[in-house]
Amino acid sequence: MKKDIKLTPEQIQELYKFTRQHFVEHYDMQTELVDHLANDIEQIWQEKPTLSFEDAKKISFKKFGVFGFMDVYGARQGALQKKYMKILWQHAKAWFRLPKIIATFAFYYFFFRGLIEYGDTFALSIIGVVVVFGLVKHILLLRKVKKRQKLSGKKWLLEDIIFKGLFLGGGMIGINLFNIINISSPDVYNIFWAVFYAAIFTIMVVYVYISVEVLPKKAEELLIEYYPEYSLIST
Amino acid sequence: MGNQKLYKGSLQTIILKLLAATDKMYGYEITQKVKELTKGELTITEGALYPALHKLEAEGLLDVEVAKVDNRLRKYYKLTENGTKETVSRLAEMEDFLRTMQTIVNPNFSLE
Repeated sequence: MKKDIKLTPEQIQELYKFTRQHFVEHYDMQTELVDHLANDIEQIWQEKPTLSFEDAKKISFKKFGVFGFMDVYGARQGALQKKYMKILWQHAKAWFRLPKIIATFAFYYFFFRGLIEYGDTFALSIIGVVVVFGLVKHILLLRKVKKRQKLSGKKWLLEDIIFKGLFLGGGMIGINLFNIINISSPDVYNIFWAVFYAAIFTIMVVYVYISVEVLPKKAEELLIEYYPEYSLIST
Repeated sequence: MGNQKLYKGSLQTIILKLLAATDKMYGYEITQKVKELTKGELTITEGALYPALHKLEAEGLLDVEVAKVDNRLRKYYKLTENGTKETVSRLAEMEDFLRTMQTIVNPNFSLE
């Protein structure tokens, strides 16, 4: 009967280091890959018990293909960004229900009146304020996440997305809005354009507020909820 | 070795079906189980398995659990309530697909 050879804790740490060397910097992703490699190495040892750990690791890693862990990693990022958008949407819905809808409507009305009265000057000022606010918050959040990750010694993919991922997407929307306004809008807004842009601005404000203010504050709660291993590690 | 491309579109259904038959499974276990069931005919590659699992998880069809096993953390996947419902409908779709393919490939053959 074949004897089961199990990896030692040192070899497991070696595998974590190996994933880092292959550009997997997030602990959640590393953990799944380490367990997979470890299982495969143990399986290889069943067939060839004399093979060294290094050689078995090489055979196992080759199975991931020429791009190594990148395919798996990229797909994981895509899946988590989708998850993040779902969380964001859940929070956004509250702004379109009582009582928060009153604030949302107040914003909407403010934008609508501003557009009617002051046209482009108002539109560009609002975009300017939101972009500057977003940028300042973004820099502060980057510092905060760096500090968190230094303290815990671990990076989580969802944590990175919460603290720095989607604001960039928001920035892109802002720049495009800038272009749309320059191309399409008349100097003075008629009712139709004012209704349309006021809605866009309101959505933009809700989106930026939730992504740079609400979700980072709830990061700890979200990470505990999403990663079963998070509380296992931090305690 | 079969043509792996033909199996590609069915990977999610295969994963759901395997998870429906058991309480929970981890990634490597799924690859081994498929190999065992198909007697080596179908090999799920690492580069295809994890993206499929993560996608199903993001869609809310799978839930995860983590346990410490053999000096390391192991991530288990299991079906959510939605996942169980989805499995039923995907398996029905798969059967329809097989039936349709059968009528094209071998018109005289009947599954009945």
